Amino acid sequence: MKMPGSQEIERLYDAHAAALFAFLLNLTRDEADTRDLLQEMFVKLAREPQLLAGVREERAFLIRLAHNAAIDLMRRRGTRERTKENFAAEILSPFAPASDPDEQFFREELAAALGELPAEQRAVVHLKLWSGLTFEAIAAALDIPPNTAASRYRYGLDKLRDRLRPLYEEIK
Amino acid sequence: MKPDDFEQRLSRQPRRQIPPAWRAEILAAARDAQAACHPASATRHNWLETFSQQLATIFWPHPKAWAGLAAVWIFILAVNFSMRDSLPTLARQSAPPAAEVIVELKMQQRLFAELVGTYEAPDADRRKIFSPKPRSECVEILTT
Repeated sequence: MKMPGSQEIERLYDAHAAALFAFLLNLTRDEADTRDLLQEMFVKLAREPQLLAGVREERAFLIRLAHNAAIDLMRRRGTRERTKENFAAEILSPFAPASDPDEQFFREELAAALGELPAEQRAVVHLKLWSGLTFEAIAAALDIPPNTAASRYRYGLDKLRDRLRPLYEEIK
Repeated sequence: MKPDDFEQRLSRQPRRQIPPAWRAEILAAARDAQAACHPASATRHNWLETFSQQLATIFWPHPKAWAGLAAVWIFILAVNFSMRDSLPTLARQSAPPAAEVIVELKMQQRLFAELVGTYEAPDADRRKIFSPKPRSECVEILTT
């Protein structure tokens, strides 16, 4: 039998899990870690339903929860794990596979370039490009000033552009 | 290369989809955590459910008969409570007994005690108490 509130958890999952999965996968670069963090988040929400009381922007709130959980996970791990994380970035792509070989190659290069960004820049780039959030919303979600969000995005995007420019020019 | 073009191309890249099997696993873990977090309410809920099922099992064969019996008992209890409440009121409403009545009651009580044999009179009154003598002495007194 369903406990009271389980329907609310299901609704939250259906509404936000896909976006949170992509965000966490881009941060952790590991599917198992992403799953653990996602489960940890929903277990926390089930245990403490009052966390969402008075929250106006669910997505921003959940992104903040996810970001904090991912940062905690990275801090718990040492340099050895971060090296492993960078290695994983080369073999795990947060993007769907493409049938066109050129497109597939571009996605793999993009995933590798994203993996080379610092986590704070990667988070902002992801939220701007693939979650469609404004700098104000990103700032609210990550608890940083809007100017910091904008500058991180610019730095991250410049690095991606430098890294992918030859390839982009070639397949454009 | 225009920056907007590059950004748009990046933003068009489709993201990897969340594995569908995760939904059931994660939601099951969330439900378990919810149940573990509120065991008292769950236990109370189960207890109430079991109790209601037992009641239904007992009452279901003849619900009207049980309802009638319950109504009779409720009526009896109501009458009982109403009478209990009215007695002290009657006692309070009655006037206090008069002094003559109290004296009369005390005399009757004393007479009853004498007849029963449990009454002990004060020293001043003991001489006045009639002590029956043997029947032969009574005859002698009468004949003399």
